[in-house]
Formats: sequence, C-alpha cells, structure tokens
Amino acid sequence: MEEIAAFLGSYPPFDQIPASALHRLASSAQIEYFAAGQEIMAFGGPPAQFLYVVCKGSVDRLHEAEGAEQAFDTLGPGEAFGHPSLIRGHSPVVTVRAHTEVLAYLIPAAIFHEMRAEFSAFANFFAASAIERLDFAVQSRRDSAAPTLFQTRLRDLVGRALVAISPEATVREAAQLMSQEHVSCVLVDLPPYGILDHDTGIFTDRDMRNRVVAAGLPYDTPISQVMTAPARIMPADSMVFEGLMAMLEYGQHHMPITEDGRVIGIVTHAAILRHQSSSPVFLPSQLRRAKSLTDMRHYSDQVASTVDSLLDAGARVSDIGRVVAVAHDALLQRLLHDAEAELGPPPVPYAWLVLGSEGRFEQTLRTDQDNALVYADDAPPEAEDYFRALSERIVEQLVFCGFPRCTGDIMATNPRWRQPLHVWKSYFSRWISVPEEEALLRTAIFFDYRQVYGELNVEESLRPVVLEARKNKVFLARMVRAALRQPAPLTFFRQVALERHGDQRHMLDLKERGTVMVVDLARIFSLEAGCSATSTTTRLRKSWTESSISEADAEALISAFELISTVRMRNQQAQIARGEEPTNQVVFPQLGPLDQRELKEALQVIANIQRGVSLTFQTNLMG
Amino acid sequence: MFLFRRRPEPPAFIQAYQQAPQPDPAMPWREVGYSVIDIETSGLDERRDALLAIGLVEINAGRVDLARRWYSLVRPPEGLLVGAGSIRIHGLLRAELAVAPPVEEVLPLLLERLASRVLLVHVAQVDVAFLNRILKERWGARLAGPILDTARLAMTLHQTAQTLGQVQTDMPLPAIQLRALATRFGLPTYGEHNALNDALTTAQLFLAQASRLERQGRTTLRNLLRAGKV
Repeated sequence: MEEIAAFLGSYPPFDQIPASALHRLASSAQIEYFAAGQEIMAFGGPPAQFLYVVCKGSVDRLHEAEGAEQAFDTLGPGEAFGHPSLIRGHSPVVTVRAHTEVLAYLIPAAIFHEMRAEFSAFANFFAASAIERLDFAVQSRRDSAAPTLFQTRLRDLVGRALVAISPEATVREAAQLMSQEHVSCVLVDLPPYGILDHDTGIFTDRDMRNRVVAAGLPYDTPISQVMTAPARIMPADSMVFEGLMAMLEYGQHHMPITEDGRVIGIVTHAAILRHQSSSPVFLPSQLRRAKSLTDMRHYSDQVASTVDSLLDAGARVSDIGRVVAVAHDALLQRLLHDAEAELGPPPVPYAWLVLGSEGRFEQTLRTDQDNALVYADDAPPEAEDYFRALSERIVEQLVFCGFPRCTGDIMATNPRWRQPLHVWKSYFSRWISVPEEEALLRTAIFFDYRQVYGELNVEESLRPVVLEARKNKVFLARMVRAALRQPAPLTFFRQVALERHGDQRHMLDLKERGTVMVVDLARIFSLEAGCSATSTTTRLRKSWTESSISEADAEALISAFELISTVRMRNQQAQIARGEEPTNQVVFPQLGPLDQRELKEALQVIANIQRGVSLTFQTNLMG
Repeated sequence: MFLFRRRPEPPAFIQAYQQAPQPDPAMPWREVGYSVIDIETSGLDERRDALLAIGLVEINAGRVDLARRWYSLVRPPEGLLVGAGSIRIHGLLRAELAVAPPVEEVLPLLLERLASRVLLVHVAQVDVAFLNRILKERWGARLAGPILDTARLAMTLHQTAQTLGQVQTDMPLPAIQLRALATRFGLPTYGEHNALNDALTTAQLFLAQASRLERQGRTTLRNLLRAGKV
C-alpha cells in the first residue's frame, strides 16, 4: 500500500507534505473505478464528498454551452478535481466525466480539510482557480529559492531617524546638519510644512559635490535651488529587489520610503549592499571602472552570471529582464559615449534603438543584436558617413562583448535601418497601410523599439505613428490573424501537443509555441488600448482597461508568460551548464510533473484567450 | 452409549457469523458490502500447510475503503516448520510468525469482518479451502454467504466478449494471474505476495469487472453471482 503514498507523493501538492502525513492521507483514501463516459460529478449536482485524484486514465471537465457539453480541460494521472465544490460545500460548477476508463483515489473530506489546515502549501494549491494556482506556482518557486533579496522589504533596511530641513535653508546649513547628524542626505520639507509626504525634496552629499561645489555655487545658495524635488519615493512594503531596480534605473543612492503617504525613512544603496553582497548593484560601478573593450567584455560576462544568480534566487523572469536591460543599456551607453569621444560630436541629434526582445526588456541571454539608428531630418550629407562609422564601430564592439550579429541583418549597420526620422515614419506608415506578410514580421520587431541613447526624441515622433495603427481595422485584423496562425500547442484532449516525428520528437518549443504567443497577444491589446509600453507584462497590465481583454485574463496571461519564461530559462541554464548551446526546446516528458502540469495550464490559458481574440476581432473588425 | 457424539455448542462468534443476514441478491451491486481477502500460506495443501497471513480491504458503496483495511499474521501450529522455499515467496520470517496471534484469535476477527458481506477472492478455491479447513477442525463450521471469484468473473467476461464477437473465438483464455488481469485492465498493481496488497489489487480488479458487467445490463448482485460465484 506504500504505492499509493508514493504515487500521491510524486505529484503536487502531495509532494509538499511530510511522509507521515502522506501515509495518513493514503491510508484513509478510497479507490473508485469509472467506466469510460461515466459521469463522476454533475454540474449542479450534490456537493463533492471527496477530493478525487486521477490514478489511471483521464477525465474531462465539461462546461454546459448552448445545451451541449463542451470539454475545456482534461486531467490525467496525478491531477485532482472536486476541491472547489468540496471547499465551498456547493454544487459542482462543472461536470466531470471519465474520458477513458479511470481509476481514482478519493480523499475523504475530513482528512482533506485536516491537511489544508495543517499545511499551507497544500491549502494554497487547492485555493480556487487555475490562475491563482499558476500564480502560486511562480510564487512558490521564488519562495523555495535563496531568499533574502525577495523576502526582505525596504522597511526592514530603513536607517536612522529622518533629518529634514526647510527649503529656505542654505547649502552651508544643510552641510552642517548632515555632518552633525552623520547622514549622507537630508529631506527638504516642502509645503504643506510639517508633513513629509509625496512632495518632499531630497538633497544628498552627491548633490553637494556635483551641483554646488563642482558648479561653483556659493554656500549660501538656498537648498531649494539644488535639491531634487519631488524626490523619487517608494512604499515601505516594496521588496528590496524593487528598490534596487529603481535605484539602478535612476542612478540614485537614497530612496525615501513611505507609509500611508508619509515618509518614514530612507533606505540607502549601501544598506542594500550590506544586506546582499552579490547583487547587480555592483555592475554599474564595474562598468565605470572599465578601461578597455576587454574590460567591457568582462562586464558583459558578469551580467550573464548575475542573471544566473538572480534566477537561482527566484527572481521573476520579467524582473531579470529589467536587470539585464539596465545592465546592457549601460554598456551600450558607455560604448556610444566613447564612440562620440573618438569620432567627434554627432552632426545632428540621433537615437540608438534596441528592438525585439531587448526592446521589450525580455532579453535574458546574450542573443543576436537587433538595433537601429534614427537621426534628425535636417542632417547635412556627410552625416550619413558619421553614422555609418558609428554603427559599424558599435556593432563590432557588441560582437566582441558577446552579442552575435543579427542573422536577418536588422542592425544599424544595414543602411536600411539607419535613416532619418521622416524615412522611419514612412516605413512605419507603410507597414500599417500595406500589412503584407513581411510588413507584419517587421512590426513584430520594430513596434517593440526602445531608445537607449541619443538626444533625438524618437518616442514623441514615432510612437504616435505606431499607435495610429489601431485605427486601421485591416491592419489590426491581419495582425490578429498572424498572431493566431500558431495556436497554443494543445491536442484535442487539451493535453500538450508535442512534435511527433524525427529529431524533435517529444519536444516543445517554449518560445515559438509559448512566450511568442503571449508577446503577440500583448502587442495587439496594447495597440488596441493605445498603450506605449513595450514590455509584455506591462502591456498587459496597462491595457486591459482600454482593450478587449479582461483584467482576470490579463493577469492570467501574465502568470502564464512568467511561468513559460521561467521553465525556458531554467532549461537554458541547464543546457549551458552541460556545455550545450542554449535552445528553446524542452523534452516535455523529461520535465517534472509540476512543470508539465503548469505548462499545460499556462498553454490552456493562452488557448482560451486566443479563442476570445479570434471571436472579438473577427466580429468587430472583419465585417 | 451414544449414537451421536454431541458436539459442544459453537462459540458466540461463530453463531453471530452464521446468523447474520445475508446480502439480498436483488440489490444493485454498488449497494452491497464486499470483503476482499487474500491469504499467505506455507504451501498449497490445506491439510498439511498453515495459514500465515490474512489481508482484507472492504468495498462499500462501490469504492475500496482503505480506512477499513485489516491485516494480520497468524502463528503456525506448533511443530510446523515454515519451509525456506515458501519464505522466499511470502517473505514472512519464522521469528515474526512465532510471535503472531494464533489462528484461534485471528479467525474471530476475520469472521466479524465477513458477516453480512459478500466474500471476494481471486482464485477463491485455495483461500476458501484453507479457511473452511480451519473452521471445520476447530469449530465444526464453514464459510457462510456468497463468495465471488474475480478469476471466474474474468472467464465470464471473456466468454461474453467471444459470444458478442468482440474477441476472436480462437483467442486463448485470459491468464488468470491477478497481476496479468489487472494490467490488462490498465490498473495499477501493488507489491506482490503481501496479502493486503493482493487484496487491494483484487478489489480494484473487481470494480473494473463489475463496471463492465454493469454496462452489459448486469447490475445486481445476482447478476454478479451468476457470472462469478464459487
């Protein structure tokens, strides 16, 4: 009878409970056999008395749709059902029917509730919806990984008492106060006085150096002239990781934190460093110290190993993507800055754009370069020579730093992708007005652009052209059709569809048949909503109010995206560790049962939303 | 001088067992209680060999109820040496058997679990012979009530399939080994040669068989008994 405990124990959440409890569970189980087609649980019927765990065979979960039953999910061995009804004591809201012959282990209500009370992982697993469970899956992966960065909140690192000063005070008075209180910054109390709220200014010892001494200002300059106001602040409950991200992004070393709208303290960069010594905060200073291209190559290697440790620490893939973006942007900025120093100042303002996954903050490995250059329209003829030389130099240096050339030649070295602004506008307009196959492929890369360097403000001229596309129904419909061409890889029985033949047998492509599907959907929704964000998760989070996706679906899609990305990244990490080329392919049967099941649920989420999109856009736009 | 030697009055547990009402054959099969047993013995001859272990699981309301499982070792009679060959099969050591309760203590517990229920065994012949031998020797009794045999049910299902043309008539009869049958139904099997595990495997096999018969319209206990009674 050990077998029952062993069987249950190899599937979540039973793998989360100790052996003794598992035995208690197994020895109070009941076993039932169902013939193919037999109804196990009826919509609206009596509440479930057991948690059912499929042992052999598969069951369908069915919805009533227009008088006919429609299967929306198929559960296989190790998967459980009946818990929503069991927990709420309500009639089942779905019908469950044996798809094949089924042998099921039945966990009686009493012991099920006992386990829920005793083990939170067990309770969480059975909490309500599939989406909540997906979310929990991402969460628990984080919890099980090395904690600190993800469990500590900013409030835990808050330093000594607040030191504030009036805006009329002089720089000298501020300096005296700082030295007397042994602090490296003061807050500036702005109206309404006496309340340190969101409208608080900040003045740091770096400001003293850069804005006062270096600028040659007198020491009786009022603090209001040299402070930063309003200061960038964060809620005290933000994770240390988020605080770190913000500091990295804005290059600041002090972060005032608030509770109920009041500033309660300041967390310093140094405090975080003390807390977490191997953090990505070290990266920028390392880049600043870099003297040669070899140093920069070394920096880029460091970024790659930071990614590894972040993944091990359980970071969300979207967070890792942001760290990588900040780190790689810094490298690009340094390279471009150095190039300008050598080639002389640019003849006209320009912008260096990164595209595709890098533009979406979703690059985690050093993948092929995708970049482009835009320069101002009033450029003299010799400008082209300058930008060609600049592009060739940068692309070359990026190759040296570990970023291979783009095989599709989407790089600033290609004259087609190094053009004045008006040409770019005409590119974008043409892709939208004549949405042929190639144009759609282009938009998938170029619509996700992000400016990393340069004085030319591309965002204000190009983004409106992109957002115009939402008024073009033909374009939107084509874009939807292209996005749906590749359906979520599920079989008729809603199991994960795998390659059946040849070398690719049992393989699942987590990019083409996973993340890309979500990226495409998010691009559609954000366009529909007129949202200018490029990251997939931000697009989904920001566009549901104005687009055809619901909030719940947007959240579900984000969870699915995080989950597939995480499995993909772990797989790549393992491949690299084995000395193989990282790929997007996983051998599905070799994944653990947890991964298998969660991937299946994630793909089911995508399939549902694809179905919705196909209906919405066909009826709204095609007609 | 007595023509008949008067037997002593049978003990209370035998009387209770014998007087318990029998399940009604007209009942739907799911509403009947079943006690599924398997035994381990020191050999196959019920006159010479000893009963060493009994495993039992109950089926109630059409479900195997593990909370109602029961397992006991049985101390072999004095002077009987359990052969090394048989130990290799059942894995029960002489030392652990020597401290087990004797059959006089175990049988009352068993009969209590059999009363008013259908006894269900795989290849019932051996198990039934052993139990009846003990009951007769000690208390002049025998197993009462209906006995179902999953091996017989397998034969009946096979013959029905042949009659219906679902399998070819020249196809050999199915193997009657418990594991082979369970595997053919796609059922999991549990550790072999442990009386409790074998009882559990038998119980699952029975659920699958009963469900097959049900689809052929054979839904009552009577139908099942006709298909697999010993």
